[in-house]
Amino acid sequence: MVAINNSSTKSPKEVSIERGIEKITEGKDEPEWVTELRYRGLKAFESAPQTDPIISNPLEFLADQDKTPAEGIESLDDLPQETKDLLDELGINEMEQRAIAGLTIQDGTGMIDSSFREKWEKKGVIMAPMNEALKRYPEARERFMKLYDPAANKLAAYHTAVWNGGVFLWVKEGVKAEIPLHLFFLIQQEALAQAPHIVILAEPNSEIKLIEGCTSPILSKHSLHLDMTEAYIEEGAKLDLTVLQNWPEYVHTRPTQRVKVGRDAQFSITSVGLGPGKSNITDPQYWVEEGGRVDVNSIILAREESHVDLGGVIHLEGEDSTGINNSKAVIMDDSEVITRGKINADASGTKGHISCDGLVMDDGASMETYPGLSSRVEDAELSHEAAIGEIKEEELFYLMSRGLDEEEATQLIVQGFVEPAIEDLPEEYLSEIRKIIELTVKG
Amino acid sequence: MLEIKNLEVKKDGLAILKNLNFSAGNSEFHVVMGPNGSGKSTLARTLAGHPEYTNYEGSIKFKNREISDLKADERLREGLMMGFQHPPRINGVNIKRFLTRVLEKIDGKEGAEKIEEKIKSATEELGFSEDLLTRNINAGLSGGERKRLELLQARLIEPEILILDEPDSGVDVDSLELISDQINWLHERGTTVVLITHYGSLLEEIDLEGARVHLFSDGKIITSGEQDLVREVEDKGFNRIYEECGCD
Repeated sequence: MVAINNSSTKSPKEVSIERGIEKITEGKDEPEWVTELRYRGLKAFESAPQTDPIISNPLEFLADQDKTPAEGIESLDDLPQETKDLLDELGINEMEQRAIAGLTIQDGTGMIDSSFREKWEKKGVIMAPMNEALKRYPEARERFMKLYDPAANKLAAYHTAVWNGGVFLWVKEGVKAEIPLHLFFLIQQEALAQAPHIVILAEPNSEIKLIEGCTSPILSKHSLHLDMTEAYIEEGAKLDLTVLQNWPEYVHTRPTQRVKVGRDAQFSITSVGLGPGKSNITDPQYWVEEGGRVDVNSIILAREESHVDLGGVIHLEGEDSTGINNSKAVIMDDSEVITRGKINADASGTKGHISCDGLVMDDGASMETYPGLSSRVEDAELSHEAAIGEIKEEELFYLMSRGLDEEEATQLIVQGFVEPAIEDLPEEYLSEIRKIIELTVKG
Repeated sequence: MLEIKNLEVKKDGLAILKNLNFSAGNSEFHVVMGPNGSGKSTLARTLAGHPEYTNYEGSIKFKNREISDLKADERLREGLMMGFQHPPRINGVNIKRFLTRVLEKIDGKEGAEKIEEKIKSATEELGFSEDLLTRNINAGLSGGERKRLELLQARLIEPEILILDEPDSGVDVDSLELISDQINWLHERGTTVVLITHYGSLLEEIDLEGARVHLFSDGKIITSGEQDLVREVEDKGFNRIYEECGCD
């Protein structure tokens, strides 16, 4: 155990975080340098700025209910019934039966391993729980917590101190994985900070698709999902990441992404927030080298009293690099969506485009968009477009005049608004998304 | 089948249809002609249940039932369909999926194969390639294609009464023939047709034996007659006819 300062000078919050760290690391044989990093987070916590508009005290979400990996779970058949039911709801079991995918599940803060790992390893795709990877792979150690500053804000510091679970995904040079890899997060405990840390290394000229799913069954209290992804897409590599979130209305999510896109490499992320939770605030950062490209697609179905704030900066640092940021939001009930993506052109020949479409469904719903473009060079091509509106009466009348009732017609228009942005997803997900729209969109 | 009495429809406080009387029986063919802005489209949209025109004065009875409280979808399911003059584009909604939903709604959920077969054959009948079904509703279609898609839907829905709002405007010659063939087909199978137009060219392709022709002006029908009235309109224009009959 590492001690960094005299306990008599610690604030009650620091003491509480320290207890969290002790619980998380207990019996895990965590390497000393990793635990030291946790204490660095703890030390940064008190002085780090409080920037989150909603979560003033992350300690409300205790991270100490660590659940050790369930014993004897080797396949989905060994999962508890309620987890299976949940996966059923997401359409996952069905897909698993068709054996189209690898699957790793993080249940609470513990990792459930799947038998698919070995198969993938033979193909040159390593997927290991983060704590294990830090012991085994220098490639993981060299890249762990390198792309962000734990002192940037309180949540970053808190994540650094109490991160738990997560994976290291390593795609070796030239390996092209033909089928997507799946990763699922479930929150099943009340008042729980789930803070997985994910490191992705795509070596030169490798290609992989990763699908991340997040959900939680019905709980009475609020929870916090505070994940951090650091991705390194090396020269000529391609990473295609899809994140499906279906958080219920009491979960706060703060996904943080830091992505380095190498020369001629491509990174594309499509995040679909079918249930964005109580609040969803993101501020991803992408650094793009010469000839590289980043595509950020966000689809949000905001309802109830959700507060969604999508920030993020694409730094076009290399010549002829490209950054695209598209968002589509359906805003229902009393929810609020803000988009403020930014593109910085720092090198010659760079191209960037921001587009934002909002469909406002109810009087209490609101949308704001602040596209940011900044150029330090003469020949960058930067543009943006935004449209916020409601469903057109003529479209609704047209569909109704063909026999669809108002609710069905509205759902069809909403599906049509959303679908062009997600048409590349596997059909199983598309039909799941359609189903969720049908469940949530009222006439 | 359809009986309209003393209909008055207002928009922004202004009466667009005034004291309109009209009736159509089973399997009849009616042509409604009149200059632009005379209220023909408002009549069609009122009958189809556009939310802007539900507060009308007078009475509209369809199959002996007042329809003022029926929404557009309920009117369709009762057997009343309108073909749009300007069918709107609906982004992201695939035509095949849309037509399938429409048919499921009308024919019940059974028989997915039968529905698919029906859609395929109607697509061919209206001169489209199957590629049409992969597109979005009215997206990237020419004027003529949009109107053909309206008739394609009418063929699938087989309404008891079909109100067509200018199915010939903005349409090329080839589309005109496909459209008139469908109108004839629907009428022969027993659909009552109310065809709104201000040109005679579509009517040349249509069997008007026994049809009633109504001339519209300023929100009401001012004179009605047989098919030779169409030729008269072509020859003289609306204004002269109105002057001659003293009904201007």
